[in-house]
Amino acid sequence: MLTDLEKALNQLIGVYHKYSLLQGNYHALYRNDMKKLLEVEGPRYLKIKSADAWFKELDINCDNAINFQEFLILVVKMGVIAHEDSHKE
Amino acid sequence: MACEMSQMEGSIQTIINVFHQYSTRLGHPDTLNQQEFKQLVVKDLANFLKEEKRDKKAIQDIMEDLDTNSDKELSFEEYIILMGRLTHASHEEMHKNAPLSEGHSHGPGLGEGGHGHGHSH
Repeated sequence: MLTDLEKALNQLIGVYHKYSLLQGNYHALYRNDMKKLLEVEGPRYLKIKSADAWFKELDINCDNAINFQEFLILVVKMGVIAHEDSHKE
Repeated sequence: MACEMSQMEGSIQTIINVFHQYSTRLGHPDTLNQQEFKQLVVKDLANFLKEEKRDKKAIQDIMEDLDTNSDKELSFEEYIILMGRLTHASHEEMHKNAPLSEGHSHGPGLGEGGHGHGHSH
């Protein structure tokens, strides 16, 4: 039986695939997939940066797609912002 | 925090809550010391770090590796790197255990015994 933390981590894998399986390569988020993901999963992060700016920042190898490892950078960045916010509330 | 959270925000919230659950126990309330980190691994990463949790040295090694500023404490920024690595490891495991099928499929992830149900898309 997985712990809540472990389930939360696996759920992040599920979130990625919800958008990465929409089109093309199974492990690629294209520009419009990424926009959809941000709009549904983290609209407040779009107030900080546009979907396009997030995409450019995460697409480290500049292949115009966000692979799973690049998505994990988003998780870390969102986590750091959410943690900072948790101390402001 | 908004009253309605997305799946992704919910996961991130859990990552933060677990961190605070331990970070507030001893010393600095927003960092994990070695004892707090060990307690977190043993209880909340019991399956993902099944082997490591029994090995004091292994837990110490993980902590030292994450403690990039070498202050013997883990900040949230250092701790969440482990979350990224474990998510990556679990995803790799899901593909290792995936049933042979057309399209994209996953088997069980990290700490789930490597057998059981899989699903494909």
